[in-house]
Amino acid sequence: MTIMMPPPDQVVLDRREAIVAALRAIVPGEGVIDSPAEMLPYESDGLMAYRQPPMVVVLPDTTEQVSQILKYCLAQGIKVVPRGSGTSLSGGALPLADAVLLGLGKFKRIREIDFDNRVVVTEPGVTNLAISQAVAHAGFYYAPDPSSQIACSIGGNVAENSGGVHCLKYGMTTNNVLGCEIVLMSGEILRIGGKSAESGGYDLMGIITGSEGLLGVITEVTVRILQRPETARALMVGFAEVEAAGECVARIIGAGIIPGGMEMMDKPAIHAAEAFVHAGYPLDVEALLIIELDGPGVEVDELIRRVEAIAQGCGSTTCQISNSETERNLFWAGRKAAFPAVGRISPDYLCMDGTIPRGALPQALARIRELSKKYDLRVANVFHAGDGNLHPLILYDANQPGEMERAEAFGADILRACVELGGVLTGEHGVGIEKRDLMGEMFSEIDLNQQQRLKCAFDAQGLLNPGKVFPTLHRCAELGRMHVHGGKLAFPEIPRF
Amino acid sequence: MATPLPNPPPQGGRERTERGAIVDTLKVRDANDVEQAVRAAIASDQPLEIIGHGSKRLIGQPMATNALLDLSALNAVTSYEPNELIITVQAGAPLADVKSLIDSRNQHFAFEPVDTTLLMGTPGGGTVGGMIGAGLAGPRRIQAGGARDHLLGAHAVSGFGDGFKAGGRVVKNVTGYDLCKLLAGSWGTLAVMTEVTLKVMPRPESGRTLVLRGLSDVIANRAMTTALGSPFDVSGAAHIPNSVFRDAGGGLGEFLGDLGSPREAVTLLRLEGITASAAHRAAALAKVLSPFGTAEILEDAASVAIWSSVREVEPFAAKGALGAWPVWRIVCPPACGGALGEALARDTGGDVIYDWGGGLIWAALPPKADAQAALVRPRVDAVGGHAMLLRASDQVRRDVDVFHPPKAGVAALSERVRLGFDPKSILNRGRMSRGSAA
Repeated sequence: MTIMMPPPDQVVLDRREAIVAALRAIVPGEGVIDSPAEMLPYESDGLMAYRQPPMVVVLPDTTEQVSQILKYCLAQGIKVVPRGSGTSLSGGALPLADAVLLGLGKFKRIREIDFDNRVVVTEPGVTNLAISQAVAHAGFYYAPDPSSQIACSIGGNVAENSGGVHCLKYGMTTNNVLGCEIVLMSGEILRIGGKSAESGGYDLMGIITGSEGLLGVITEVTVRILQRPETARALMVGFAEVEAAGECVARIIGAGIIPGGMEMMDKPAIHAAEAFVHAGYPLDVEALLIIELDGPGVEVDELIRRVEAIAQGCGSTTCQISNSETERNLFWAGRKAAFPAVGRISPDYLCMDGTIPRGALPQALARIRELSKKYDLRVANVFHAGDGNLHPLILYDANQPGEMERAEAFGADILRACVELGGVLTGEHGVGIEKRDLMGEMFSEIDLNQQQRLKCAFDAQGLLNPGKVFPTLHRCAELGRMHVHGGKLAFPEIPRF
Repeated sequence: MATPLPNPPPQGGRERTERGAIVDTLKVRDANDVEQAVRAAIASDQPLEIIGHGSKRLIGQPMATNALLDLSALNAVTSYEPNELIITVQAGAPLADVKSLIDSRNQHFAFEPVDTTLLMGTPGGGTVGGMIGAGLAGPRRIQAGGARDHLLGAHAVSGFGDGFKAGGRVVKNVTGYDLCKLLAGSWGTLAVMTEVTLKVMPRPESGRTLVLRGLSDVIANRAMTTALGSPFDVSGAAHIPNSVFRDAGGGLGEFLGDLGSPREAVTLLRLEGITASAAHRAAALAKVLSPFGTAEILEDAASVAIWSSVREVEPFAAKGALGAWPVWRIVCPPACGGALGEALARDTGGDVIYDWGGGLIWAALPPKADAQAALVRPRVDAVGGHAMLLRASDQVRRDVDVFHPPKAGVAALSERVRLGFDPKSILNRGRMSRGSAA
């Protein structure tokens, strides 16, 4: 493990038996797991290079139990790591040796479907896709669609502010969540927001979304649902140059068209995907764009024409337009299976997640190519091109000594390049442990202190998911102290006060 | 394309406030000035009122401040990149100028920021910083989200006197806590924004508005719910009861006045996009809504004008017939709006206008010492909404909670969050909560 986690507290570890017994008193039956064999599935999340058995796993099924667990852990000074379905790609749910792993998997019920207010009230363990399925009979769906939507839970989506291929037009989780029930580390149960478009006062829902399990444990979520567009069609456009594909993306947006999704794959990704799902992808192009337009038929037909003309103007070499749902789904099949497809051609891969300004796509790709040579590791690129979110997949073999470390250094350099090009470290996968030590590339100490003061407002003891997101842990008392500049508080040169 | 405007020389001065007090003003030139001013304010325990153009100074709890931090000279457009769908501007940039700049590239702020000039009767069109700090979104909120959904990044100075950065300059970003969400709608009580990066969107090519006449509030609410539950991507759903046309009378502008000339309630549903699509969806929606009556269809310019009247709450304009009445801004689950608003109007003798498909109610209620808070708040609580007393006299705003008082746990958490940004309550002290005015 190349990332340092907070050192385990031996005092807590020595009391493990008593802690397990206390948790059993709160969650009876099989809700407390403490045998090493049974805890095995929990020792890692989607960032599988990192593994750590937890001290104990607890799987409550009521909000009251969650509250009692947290209250107990706060009183005893025990760390807690919350976990949804464990699909995080950034290690957000990686256990700690001296922490309780709090799984929300038993919160599996959709509590209310309210078509008049266009919301679903659900428990956090319900999968993203299950929400859409529950409302499909009335023509509704839940818009954010991370690729892991079959497995990932809505609670995890809120924690990570998950995106997906359609967030260019329909927004991320934060733009589609209206309220939640959250349990603070103190055990206090709060309701934030609800079925209204916005809550009064500070936008606490906005800050909870994407907080990576550091602020509280979500036990209920209210999401917005939308009517499915009448129709959707996709174009699959090939280019001989990556630069031309990048230009095409910029011109489409510049023409005022916001597609439902706009994805790019480079040659290695196209080849891997085609070999896996046989979607009919052209193999002689350097870049492939999949552009989906949705809405009423009359609108989609018109926009397809406009996009086709723009693509031709950018020198596209191939262009196919879907004429049926089967065909549209086939276009997407390769893109959606890109990760497993790459998994077939390499023993291991690392998926990066930086975002750059759209216009910097060609520069970013050139940098990635150079770095690929420097580190002597192959890379396949898939992007949410519409919003500049890159997913370079770095191929490596963990069984080769030093290769994983090289892959991680390569990934870190890609993310540094993203920040240099005006972008950010993560577009949708979260910081977790994976990008934690790179936070300084993007934020100053003052910036990070301000973020950590927010953490103090929710969890003053720093017991919830410590070691994630922030490279250094601070005591809240220290963060709350007024800064003294040069020995005394500075006065302005303009003597008004 | 950066177009920095020349900074005027630093200015200090004194000014007479609306309340007649004489206060110090400090006109800052750059973010560094803001840091210096806040640090000095901390050292001398002099809370600051943060203003741009001052267009929203009459909104909120009267503040316990006696110095002004004037950001209007921080007015440059730092960069505008239409193909990236972003614009970065200093917080004091005039909203009108920025809107016309992005309009020249057929783009707009999709959340339709509300210009409160008409409603409040205050001069000055406001700044971009004020727009974000207030976070008041117009009719398109139901489709495009609010100010909080369009603020991508910010530079700000906290109540520690430290300049910090939040968010970034790209549309997709989950790096660290999303502090931008907190800054939007915080009415300057957490930090002084000095520069913001906003998402801009292509302006719709064309618009259509369906007009249904003569519906009661509750039936109109149902019509709007039907429309918003259709696949036609409705971008505005408002209802103006007939009593509004009667009570607001001649104060109504040309378009709204004409529309209401038979003094019948009007229900408005907006569809936008490429021309063929807007026209197609308008026709299709009219068919779906036929049980509620036959819809007239307004096109383009007329459609734009009517939504401007709704957005700016023209019937309750400060200079109009209802200008002396306090105005509430009530946000509730949209399907509850009709019944809630109808009862409020009936039981107070006031007037209401519905936006957001019923999810936003503007209520002008006959004056009372508490602006009818005792009647409004429990009813709004009962449906899980919140009510803000947006317009009322200084005295009433002293005596009544302007912002809806949250439940104890949320109030305590919000206060801890605020203290994490501004432990000495230097910034807009007391604006959002009567409790913290001390």
